[in-house]
Amino acid sequence: MEPLTWTGILSPLNYALLLATLVLAVGVVTQLITALFATDEPLVVNRDGTLAAQGGFRGLTNEIVRWSFLAIVGVIVAYIVGGVILGRDAGILGAVSQRFLPVWIALIVTFSLSMTFKRNLGLYGKLFDSPVGMIGFGLVMFWVFTAAFEGFFGIISTHEALEQLVRMKNEAPGSPVEGVDPDAGYYSHYLLGGDNLARDVFSRMVSGSVIVILIAPFATIFAFMVGITLGLPAGYYGGRLDTILSFFANLILAFPVILLFYLLVTPEIRQTGIPTYMAAVLFLFPIIFFGILIHSKFRTRPEINTPLLVGVLGVLSIVYLSTINQEGTPIDFLGFIDLFDIAGGILTVFVSVVFVNSPTVFRIVRGLALDIKTRDYVAAAQTRGEGPFYIMLWEILPNARGPLIVDFCLRIGYTTILLGTLGFFGLGLPPESPDWGATINEGRKLLSVYPHPAIVPAVALLSLVLGLNLLADGLREQSLKD
Amino acid sequence: MEKLDYDGPILEIEKLSISFFTRAGEIPAVMDFSAKVMPGEALGLVGESGCGKSTVALGVMQDLGVNGRVVGGSIKFKGRDLGKMSQSELRDLRGSEIAMIYQEPMASLNPAMKIGKQLMEVPMIHEGTSAEEARKLALEVVEAVRLPDPPRILEAFPHQLSGGQQQRIVIAMALMSKPSLLILDEPTTALDVTVEAGIVDLVKDLGRQFGTSMLFISHNLGLVLETCDRLCVMYSGEAVERGSIAEVFDQMRHPYTEALFRSIPLPGADKNARPLVAIRGNFPLPHERPPGCNFGPRCDYFEDGRCNQGYIPMSPIDGNERHESRCLRITEIDWDAPIVAADSTAKVEAGDVVLKVDDMKKYYEVAANAMFGGAEKRVVKANETITFEARESETLAIVGESGCGKSTLAKVLMGLETATDGNVTMLNKAIDQVPIEDRSPKDVATLQMVFQNPFDTLNPSMTVGAQIVRALEVFGVGENQSQRRQRMLELLDLVKLPRAFAGRMPRQLSGGQKQRVGIARAFAGAAQIVVADEPVSALDVSVQAAVTDLLMEIQRENKTTLLFISHDLSIVRYLSDRVMVMYLGHVVEVGDTEQVFSPPYHPYTEALLSAVPIADTSVEKKRIVLDGDIPSAMNPPSGCPFQTRCKHKENVEGGLCEREVPPMRTLDDGHQIKCHLSDKWLSEMEPVIKIAAE
Repeated sequence: MEPLTWTGILSPLNYALLLATLVLAVGVVTQLITALFATDEPLVVNRDGTLAAQGGFRGLTNEIVRWSFLAIVGVIVAYIVGGVILGRDAGILGAVSQRFLPVWIALIVTFSLSMTFKRNLGLYGKLFDSPVGMIGFGLVMFWVFTAAFEGFFGIISTHEALEQLVRMKNEAPGSPVEGVDPDAGYYSHYLLGGDNLARDVFSRMVSGSVIVILIAPFATIFAFMVGITLGLPAGYYGGRLDTILSFFANLILAFPVILLFYLLVTPEIRQTGIPTYMAAVLFLFPIIFFGILIHSKFRTRPEINTPLLVGVLGVLSIVYLSTINQEGTPIDFLGFIDLFDIAGGILTVFVSVVFVNSPTVFRIVRGLALDIKTRDYVAAAQTRGEGPFYIMLWEILPNARGPLIVDFCLRIGYTTILLGTLGFFGLGLPPESPDWGATINEGRKLLSVYPHPAIVPAVALLSLVLGLNLLADGLREQSLKD
Repeated sequence: MEKLDYDGPILEIEKLSISFFTRAGEIPAVMDFSAKVMPGEALGLVGESGCGKSTVALGVMQDLGVNGRVVGGSIKFKGRDLGKMSQSELRDLRGSEIAMIYQEPMASLNPAMKIGKQLMEVPMIHEGTSAEEARKLALEVVEAVRLPDPPRILEAFPHQLSGGQQQRIVIAMALMSKPSLLILDEPTTALDVTVEAGIVDLVKDLGRQFGTSMLFISHNLGLVLETCDRLCVMYSGEAVERGSIAEVFDQMRHPYTEALFRSIPLPGADKNARPLVAIRGNFPLPHERPPGCNFGPRCDYFEDGRCNQGYIPMSPIDGNERHESRCLRITEIDWDAPIVAADSTAKVEAGDVVLKVDDMKKYYEVAANAMFGGAEKRVVKANETITFEARESETLAIVGESGCGKSTLAKVLMGLETATDGNVTMLNKAIDQVPIEDRSPKDVATLQMVFQNPFDTLNPSMTVGAQIVRALEVFGVGENQSQRRQRMLELLDLVKLPRAFAGRMPRQLSGGQKQRVGIARAFAGAAQIVVADEPVSALDVSVQAAVTDLLMEIQRENKTTLLFISHDLSIVRYLSDRVMVMYLGHVVEVGDTEQVFSPPYHPYTEALLSAVPIADTSVEKKRIVLDGDIPSAMNPPSGCPFQTRCKHKENVEGGLCEREVPPMRTLDDGHQIKCHLSDKWLSEMEPVIKIAAE
């Protein structure tokens, strides 16, 4: 069988892409230069209140930049659509975009639904007024859907993440699968090549996304729970409590992160149970958080308060105990009620990421609380005799949500990078794990000869983090408007 | 740039229209606005928030931001069209020929630069003068704005000066280049009344001295009366009436102007006999303006088929030169008809004492270091020996400027702080040492508070209904949620808000509506005593009257005791039964409203009364401008707290004022005053406000 080229029969499109990119580059440069010299021509307002398009040289360059950018987007869409229809005939890109078909459908549904109802969707809806935010949201949702379809149905990847087909070792992207029985049902090509151990790079990247999308947001949520639960009282009460908590936050922030990770995953340290004890403490915070949240709101209505508290705290406690209870670690007393075990490696990674992120969240929440506690509605709550925790969780926290949501997006990005770093150093997760950090590290060894095994996960990591940052930018921009 | 010699009008605005372009489309902010400012003339621009007065000022500066555009008309400065100038020409003009003074002085000064350097920059950039000359000029100008010790001021950083001093520096900076036109955008709104009086005096004198033309933007009619020659009233993006001060104040010819004057408390208004007339309805949003006359839907003289059709031009008033009004029925309305009094009500007699404060003191200890506790502890005496009583269904006004301790007093009453010394008794129960968490829900519900800032008083992320229901829950009102919901709807009825508002978020409400919700929340647990901390000072004039009336009405029905904290003596005179004047933690005067507003006064009350601008041309005021600022409570002056600014100090023998805090003296029948002045002096005091015989 022939190896696949990158674009197959869609190759004429390459020239269009090249041309559009060139025009855009020239246009942007002229725009920058003219902005230095030319003066603004006055904008003309028509009688009906609309603005006339800007004329003159600047107007022209603006138009050129706009259209060439649209052309590039158009060509990319053509690659994807063509690929979905033509499959392997459209080369590697075509085959890859065909594999992602469920993701494209999910994205189109999400975007069209959100665009239709964007006026009723609050801040989320406003995101669709900002191109930057939309691009970011698109990138993030691409990986979320990929992880979902792969994790639940396994329909994106072409091969198993650990499957080794010996003849495919270090093969270039688009190589046909050789040396196996053609009827065994293997996918015909290694789309993005094979790695040093003859595994399919494309499939490993797709499976890696599941791990990243699973750990990063969850770890960030836990870091937020810890940061909020400690930051609100520190900001609200101030005084000695604030001084002490801030001191500890600074202490953790000052500690070299990588050294901390090495310490936490060293077998000797793990034997002493320190990570497990840390998990026992850190995972306690969500229970405290939800307990106080519910009680402070419903304390005046015992008929709702008691069942709700019992239910929520009961479920959370069981999950909590199952999580921290591990056979073979110092915390092992549940026996048969232990519902599930989390692989020791993942738990350690989780604990370290939460531990490192929570002090920063703590400082943000503390600052916001310091600001919001001076508002009149907080004084109004105080003068009607509300308890301090109601004020913190129901008066202050909801009004701090804007900056917190933005930070949440950014922080998932940091966490993803942190996971990559951990994987790269081989910390935490098992060495054969397909997570992006570990695959980059493996690919690094033969980088000068076979770059593709390292580049593919690196680009994946880049696009997800870029998407999260753009999303955060879009959210911030939109939340500042009106 | 060379200054042009030009003797025509300094500023000529003709048929100016300004729009903002947003996602929602074009929003017209100013429509068909014309004005003319002659050399040396001061034009006042008056209107409620959102009427476009600041947009006009920004239009003159050609600084409308990315969204704003002049969509019609022209602005001519000394005969040159500003709209046709290039950016660099405009830069030359701004700060040298046209200077602008904003509301917030601290925001106009660079906090990282010494005052002297900031002042010297102006002539050095615009005229290229040498540093020495610029410094000399700076010294002169600082002296001209009457700041003490100019060389020291030039070496100071902005944060080392008080708010009033900062605003003087901003004015000085504007004067450095001897501009032909000075635009003042609410220059005194952020300042205290007595400080404001000083600034207003200064602005008036400078206008005379330098011959600068002024565009004075304000929502306060009284201020405009004191500072301006001519007046332009704006409503919803349009000028509705313009003319000289005397013409507009005494012969108003637009229904909006008339309604505006009827809704502000002038001397003579009385909450029982002659209540204020609020303008009904709401200010129209820019994209919901009615056809025809913008004021039509709220106007008493509205005529269907005429007022709501087509364009209404400015038309001149017969007999008055340069007096115009945008009304079709100028000649048809009987402008001299007496005010149709809204229902006058019988005066409610005060009942038993419900709140008694006896010799209450509140001191704060300020330590230098929170963690290790510094060796030095300083004491801030926020409240000193406060004694007063409040009776059932009585309104007691607490008057004073910022830093006088009225907020601390409110905190102690509410239980957010406990008193250092003395007694506070509410309904025969001592509460001075009981913090709010130890008070029973009933006690908490009995004593409630209405807050100042309408944009801050409601939690922005909870619906209006949920916030009131929460208050009901906390106060233990109602058996279950449906009963509380019912009660919440009744409360909305009580404050005259439609029931549909229960499901709205606070951001969908206007300022006045939010304040009504705040009132509903305070009365959720049938409060008997309500502390209202400047409840209307942040609202527009026409809304103020409606909210004040509402408070009075609820008070009358529920026999509530109202502690009305305010610095606005006009409104205090209108609605309170008794007045307590505070200065630097001390009660300096207390008595019936009549007693406090007529001589003998405490010297501070006298100054306060003279500082309040009154929008009535028939009122004559004695001008008393206080020097300096309120001393810090950290470091209060020895003896009488007011001695550093008192005009009567020399009339007390032997420097007694500097040595001893004066005792509280009872003059007659409950009128008490804390002053060393002899009875003879006090009895010779003249009234500050005189209404000229008509």
